[in-house]
Amino acid sequence: MSRLAPVVIDNGTGFTKMGFAGNNDPSFIQPTVIATRDGGASSSAPSVPSKPSFLNSSSSSNIASKRGIEDLDFYIGDEAVANSKTYALNYPIRHGQIENWDHMERYWEQSIFKYLRCEPEDHSFLLTEPPLNPPENRENTAEIMFESFNVQGLYIAVQAVLALAASWTSSKVSEQTLTGTVIDSGDGVTHVIPVAEGYVIGSSIKSVPIAGRDLTSFVQNLLRERGENMIPAEDSLTVAQRIKEQYSYVCPDIVKEFKKYDQEGEKYFKKYEGVHSVTGKPYTVDVGFERFLAPEIFFNPEIASSDYLTPLPEVVDNVVQTSPIDVRRGLYKNIVLSGGSTMFENFGKRLQRDIKRIADTRIKRSEVLSGGKMQSTPMEVNVISHKKQRYAVWFGGSLLASTGEFHSYCHTKAEYDEVGPSIARHNRVFGTLG
Amino acid sequence: MILLDYHNRIIEDTLKARFNPENKPKPVDMNIVDFDGVSYHISTLEDQDSKLVLSIRWRCWPELVKYGANDVLKREYSQWIVIPEHGFDFTLQFDLENLGADPEELIRKVSLLKRNAMAAPFERAFDAQALAEKEDNWDPSSSQLMTIHYRDDEAIYVQNQQDRVTVIFSTLFKEETDRIFAKVFLQEFVDARKKPHLQNAPQVIYSHREPPLEIRHVPGLLDSESMGYITFVLFPRNYAVGTVREETISRIQIFRDYLHYHIKCSKAYMHSRMRARVSDFLKVLNRAKPEVQAAEKKLASGRAFRRP
Repeated sequence: MSRLAPVVIDNGTGFTKMGFAGNNDPSFIQPTVIATRDGGASSSAPSVPSKPSFLNSSSSSNIASKRGIEDLDFYIGDEAVANSKTYALNYPIRHGQIENWDHMERYWEQSIFKYLRCEPEDHSFLLTEPPLNPPENRENTAEIMFESFNVQGLYIAVQAVLALAASWTSSKVSEQTLTGTVIDSGDGVTHVIPVAEGYVIGSSIKSVPIAGRDLTSFVQNLLRERGENMIPAEDSLTVAQRIKEQYSYVCPDIVKEFKKYDQEGEKYFKKYEGVHSVTGKPYTVDVGFERFLAPEIFFNPEIASSDYLTPLPEVVDNVVQTSPIDVRRGLYKNIVLSGGSTMFENFGKRLQRDIKRIADTRIKRSEVLSGGKMQSTPMEVNVISHKKQRYAVWFGGSLLASTGEFHSYCHTKAEYDEVGPSIARHNRVFGTLG
Repeated sequence: MILLDYHNRIIEDTLKARFNPENKPKPVDMNIVDFDGVSYHISTLEDQDSKLVLSIRWRCWPELVKYGANDVLKREYSQWIVIPEHGFDFTLQFDLENLGADPEELIRKVSLLKRNAMAAPFERAFDAQALAEKEDNWDPSSSQLMTIHYRDDEAIYVQNQQDRVTVIFSTLFKEETDRIFAKVFLQEFVDARKKPHLQNAPQVIYSHREPPLEIRHVPGLLDSESMGYITFVLFPRNYAVGTVREETISRIQIFRDYLHYHIKCSKAYMHSRMRARVSDFLKVLNRAKPEVQAAEKKLASGRAFRRP
């Protein structure tokens, strides 16, 4: 049997992307959610310190008393959401890290057998982890993959590095380097991650509490305040999401944009046509300023929130400035976007302009301060957006796993049996302890 | 989820998206796999985005063809079959502008491609048995033993006899633990039949290492500790023409994956019990920790505050 395509699974907080290496798009994109019968997690039940719980009540006897096949009675992904009325939804991943291993193990079980339909013993697996994932988590992952599923080989890659690799497809990239700043904005949170030659500079990672979900609720609020009464209450979130995805773009200057809308409104105002999900009646919603206001909250957070006020370009600049001095030029030169919330039109352009402005001002000031004695070469700022941006992490994984050397990077089952879970702490590509 | 689906979900999803007339035809090129080392390739023709091509590759394809797979496939897909793409065994081509009367039905059929290919030897055996039953003096030597090497070290053997059809799976377990789980599992299969309401189920025999008599003469059987043989004895009532037959064929060919799936599920279940146990023990251990005596608190003047 010739070698079968490795399986690439990117488990994110909000969505899981899975598919086979060598393809351009993941085969399945679905929420990382598992619907189980037993309500709360059995192992994470609150501890009762007063009596030995394993002797009488609560969790362990609870799980031991299950003699049937209750453990198979669960759904994942979209089916889980569809069954949320009769099942309890659990989100096994929080803030990018796996919190509940019981659920995650079963989530993988069904991903592999029901969705991807492959025999894990015949395939190598590429999984992803967030930057700064504790090595214990990686060990746990390896344990499950090798001991439960007997996978042939396993490689756990850092999401930010994969996003960098995915940007190599862009025509703007001249050299294939693993140095750069990754702006990863998904549904829950936005991270700015500096990577130098494949190593994540952990101390400089910054996160921004603005991401897709916040944009959606911002649009929802705008619509509500303007009094778009046509939107049925139960659909309001989906309508807001659609409007955000279909019509939003980033403008160069918010004041000019307002003027443009005032002068030639009919050119810019759009109409969203929806159908009531219950009654089936069609309705229309006017789409106006929210078209450019929604993504604007990345650049001017004060219009949406009162407690977080740092604009994204400034965060990026901060991240680069706190990184080691010898990689800063590389980090400015290669700023890579990844995740669904970076998909807005002109997002990259605006970001590049703003970051460049900040960097140039700083250089100018240092030149002035030195009394004109010092001249610096201008800073090259490049924000790279490419077609695969939305699932950049998965796509990067697919690229990596389809190379010929991938199998030599993988930890094999035999090596795992020899060394044990601690093998997952070692990364072959970089040759270090991660 | 107790039973695995028979159809391939990726193919189903892809075709559904492509066959939807609202979506514009886009070029596509993807390689996917299915259980037992089946590879599919879905693509569009180079210059025509509306022509969708689906190819399949499987190591046992020549064997399947020998046992009449082409007839079954012709029956199912007749008008869509084209000359196989280079490097593949079988190819279907669809014109998105002309999908025939029932695209839904077509999607269903295509997503069952692997199953239908594998159905051929079973159908042949069932038909041969039906013929043999009518004969008074049937010659046992005319029974055909069909071997399908569907995986590297594992095979399915299908043999028709006068009154029944025997299906034998050879299974190989790479992992010691898996083998033990499988043993318990298969033993349970054998025992379950003793229940009165399962009397009509096909008989299951499990043997470890020792090949069953039907295939003992077959050369090249691997003699190893990790080898196991599972025999299903099917009687005509198990494959009455119609839905029963189709179900039987689907179920029996997914059996190996079903077995492996459940071994993995059992392990996952074991693991969750272990985790629960460990966290309970940790709680006990933590209670045994000696309480840290709070250091004596002093006032600013240096005197300690003592309860009277």
